[in-house]
Amino acid sequence: MENAWIIPLFPLISFLFLLLFGRRLKENSGYVGMALTFLSLIYSLVVLFDRFNHPTYKAEATWLAIGDVQLTAGFEVNQLNALMLVIVSLVSFLVHTYSKGYMHGDDRFHIFYAYLGLFTFAMLGLVVSPNLLQTYIFWELVGVGSFLLIGFYFYKEEAKAAAKKAFIMTRIGDVGLLIGMILLFWQVGSFEYDAIFLAVEEGAISAGIITLTAILIFIGAVGKSGQFPLHTWLPDAMEGPTPVSALIHAATMVAAGVYLVAALFPLFTASETALMTVAVIGAFTAIFAASIGLVQTDIKRVLAYSTVSQLGYMMLALGSAGYVAGVFHLMTHAFFKALLFLAAGSVIHAVHTQNIEEMGGLWKKLRLTGPLFLIGTLAISGVPLFSGFFSKDEILIAAWTNGNPVLFWLAVIAAFFTAFYMFRLFFMVFTGQSRSEMKNVHESPKVMTVPMIVLGVLAVVAGYFNTPWFGTFLGDWLVEGNEALGHGHTEGPAWIMIVATLVSLLGIFLAWLMYGKKSLQRDWLSSRMPITYNMLYNKYYLDEFYALSVVKTTKGLSVLLSYIEAFVVEGIVKGVAGIVHGLGKTGSKIQSGQVQAYGTVAFVGLAVLVVVYVLAGGYLK
Amino acid sequence: MDLDTLLSFEWGAMAPEFIILGVATILSIVDLFAPKHLDRKIFGWIGFAGILLALASLINLVGLGPVSILYDTFRLDGFAKAFKILLLIGAALVMLLALSYKPKEGMEEYKGEFYYLLLAGLLGAMMMASSGDLITLFVGLELLSLSSYILAGIRKKHLPSNESAMKYVVNGGIATAFTLFGMSYVYGLTGTTNLIEMTNVLPNLANAQYIYILGIAFFMIFVGLSFKLATAPFHMWAPDVYQGAPTPVTAFLSVVSKTAGFVILIRILLTVFGNAFAGNSGVAAMTNFLVGMQDYIAFLAAATMIIGNVVALRQRNIKRVFAYSSIAHAGYLLVAVTAMSSFMFDALWFYLGAYLFMNVGAFAVIQLLTQHTDNEDIGVFAGLYKRAPWLAVAMGVFILSLAGIPGTAGFIGKLNIFIGALASEPAHYVLASVMIATTVISYFYYFGVLTQMFFRPAAEDEGEGGKIRVPVGLSIALVICVVATIVFGLFPNIALDFFHTNFEGFADFLQ
Repeated sequence: MENAWIIPLFPLISFLFLLLFGRRLKENSGYVGMALTFLSLIYSLVVLFDRFNHPTYKAEATWLAIGDVQLTAGFEVNQLNALMLVIVSLVSFLVHTYSKGYMHGDDRFHIFYAYLGLFTFAMLGLVVSPNLLQTYIFWELVGVGSFLLIGFYFYKEEAKAAAKKAFIMTRIGDVGLLIGMILLFWQVGSFEYDAIFLAVEEGAISAGIITLTAILIFIGAVGKSGQFPLHTWLPDAMEGPTPVSALIHAATMVAAGVYLVAALFPLFTASETALMTVAVIGAFTAIFAASIGLVQTDIKRVLAYSTVSQLGYMMLALGSAGYVAGVFHLMTHAFFKALLFLAAGSVIHAVHTQNIEEMGGLWKKLRLTGPLFLIGTLAISGVPLFSGFFSKDEILIAAWTNGNPVLFWLAVIAAFFTAFYMFRLFFMVFTGQSRSEMKNVHESPKVMTVPMIVLGVLAVVAGYFNTPWFGTFLGDWLVEGNEALGHGHTEGPAWIMIVATLVSLLGIFLAWLMYGKKSLQRDWLSSRMPITYNMLYNKYYLDEFYALSVVKTTKGLSVLLSYIEAFVVEGIVKGVAGIVHGLGKTGSKIQSGQVQAYGTVAFVGLAVLVVVYVLAGGYLK
Repeated sequence: MDLDTLLSFEWGAMAPEFIILGVATILSIVDLFAPKHLDRKIFGWIGFAGILLALASLINLVGLGPVSILYDTFRLDGFAKAFKILLLIGAALVMLLALSYKPKEGMEEYKGEFYYLLLAGLLGAMMMASSGDLITLFVGLELLSLSSYILAGIRKKHLPSNESAMKYVVNGGIATAFTLFGMSYVYGLTGTTNLIEMTNVLPNLANAQYIYILGIAFFMIFVGLSFKLATAPFHMWAPDVYQGAPTPVTAFLSVVSKTAGFVILIRILLTVFGNAFAGNSGVAAMTNFLVGMQDYIAFLAAATMIIGNVVALRQRNIKRVFAYSSIAHAGYLLVAVTAMSSFMFDALWFYLGAYLFMNVGAFAVIQLLTQHTDNEDIGVFAGLYKRAPWLAVAMGVFILSLAGIPGTAGFIGKLNIFIGALASEPAHYVLASVMIATTVISYFYYFGVLTQMFFRPAAEDEGEGGKIRVPVGLSIALVICVVATIVFGLFPNIALDFFHTNFEGFADFLQ
């Protein structure tokens, strides 16, 4: 564990190496990336197993001294970090492997792998950070990696726009994070997680500040994890290559927000209001995004909204004091959602379209992708015996025992929606008539199917690390030695599990009726309730709302200010300058009033300052 | 004064200035007599060597205690040394840029002047950092200004360059008048031009009402100097002048000249006004004068940040974008001045250093891309990553640093200033929030450049001919700037430790 700092370095080496020699290596770059991330994975596993038997390890050194303040840099291996290391390096390795097939033939193959390396480095760096500042640095770097990868197909206008949108939307959240972080620093005098928790425990920070900072930091998590109202970038981010969507926008980066809340969990538990905010935003996002997912027709967009919704679940779990439930779902979700994305990529690879209405009958043609996609769908729908079932159950129990039935029922309805739209997707893509134009459909090469099989196995078994039936091994381990995180397992009433199962089966059944057996009309919703359908289809018109309000306002402001600069300021001055101009018979072109304008502005500025000074009787205070 | 007294001074402390002066003089004389066909480029390399030599001799002097020559008209204290290092490094990098500068219409016949005027300007800037007397400070200021006026217009046959010089000289004249007027009031109040003596006289003014005159003097000097800093209300010249001036000169103005401006501002503010009290009448009794002025400086800082960043959004000309960006950065620096926290010096010094590297680097790339065509539209960056990947990566580093993204020197600089603003007593929340908000606004125009470089295809006609050859001098400057931006971003302690161990927090500032 003492050498855990080396884990993020492997992908960094991959990044630098490919930047230097990628052009010469061409598609062999893939092997470099794969080999180095594989090393990261092996080492992460070693660290994880090491962590089972040893206490938390932390090492740091002074990085920067400002006045008396010492800022440190280092790394820490606690339970959460060790688990995240494995998740990130595993998914990253699988995506590296998968991309070898998916990106085959792309001119900028090596650049893609270089970017992947940069992103993996940043993400691994993020999860081992022992303090907020370092977390923030990697947090931004992760954003840069995501920016580059979303915009990878930069010749597509949409990709460019999506990359920019993703960066700016998450930055809005980051400002909250930065302010919260600085406020915490100002109160505690340190960015260290340990020092912050200690201060919270000792009551050194007032309750108001705790709530304020927790909520500000949560705003950062809202941006990164695509929670309402900053979620709109995530569906657009699907313009990136599909392996990127699997890695960044399903398993790792978007989970960073959840990770941040989990890492700062003791801070959040110290404030009822903050927890409540997290829970409400989470539950609302879960049902909100799930309802949009019901009617989308782009395979990746359905998955994107489902990601937003599932992240909402995790937030709901954390907000309901269900630390284990949230982290557990983070893990299972990483596996089954990465699987779904990779399988979707395999479908797109085969049929060259993303519109599910143009697909159908692929089950017979994609003999591997089909069953794997089904496994992922079953897992996310919470069908018993699959991983999603156990983690979702934990979340529902947490929401129930925390004493908020409204949030609980919202989560149940969202679970119903999830089962419905996921199976709608499955039936539309894999059953029914195959389209005529899809004659030449082949299964993807081995290099793509093997990572999917690995994830498929994990999507089934990952749930058994923490079940009410065979023991809550993961949960107990996660909270070991830290009471602030709550219990390893919370006993909930047995009916919750039954309700969850029924709801998901009901969703599947309904989807089957409408899209499998087709005994219910497909356009049932759009014909009965066109307004609702359009509202859902257009994602509640949020993008339009933002375009109208925020973007217009900012643009308007900048136009206004430049007009002020151009007309009001210069206009006033031009009046003065005009007199000068009239007096002097000829003004050469160079001295066309403008120069006087500048001087006049300075002079007026000085005059205003002096007048204020005199009026204020010397001082403003 | 007899010869013995004159000789008893430690003239060795002035070695860096003497070297610059000597090189500039020799170059100007040789330029007169050297045959026409001699390539004046060698002058540039000599000048560069001279700057390095001066830098070496300055570093050699770092251990020396405070030296005062001729009643403080020259003084070498920690403050002077620390900032002169920045000035010399900045000038050396600008010299490298100038060496590689080849505008379209050529400037062979007066290339020589270009180099030694740069040195003369540098000498002025160094005197501004290294004097404790208003007269010498003013002479240094004027030497810098006059050299810069000519430099801005050195492309004689280029109309925008002429326009730029004209505007610069007119505005500079106004600014000088303000400054000098303010200084005359201070002299009138104290009867001395020596800064240290003023600090002793001002707290004990005979009549408390004089404080108002001091206030007016303060505003005069501040507004006058804000010309050099390019901060509100004296910022409007910057976009026009930056745009028209040759690119190395723009870099010189935005880095060396701005640093010198901050140096003289801090020197005057802290010595003359820092110790003045608000008299002994009324409620405000015994309030430090400068603390009373904080709100005014804060207001100007906020206005500068807002104007710089917001107006930059509307610009298409890359040099204008950077002019507004440089206004904005001066605004951030003013935040540090406003806060007057215990580590104001660290923050200012580090930020100016970081700004020096990232900005000169950015101008190096701009110069390379714009000099052949005189096309300065932001579109020249289109597809740079395709055409010259390394150049694009370097520019990317500078842009990220200017935007204050973690991992770069610019971030550490901003963090220092930000923490300073919050850690001072009373904390400046509003100012800190304005700083954050305007920083966010700045992402829009900075990332506009990034988008151009990485996501836009190159213009058609530049297809094959678009290959960019980087001259030697420029590539040296670029490498230095990239390395420094990243190293000081990752290991800021290298710089800060050097600062703390060698200058002892400027304990000798008022001695």
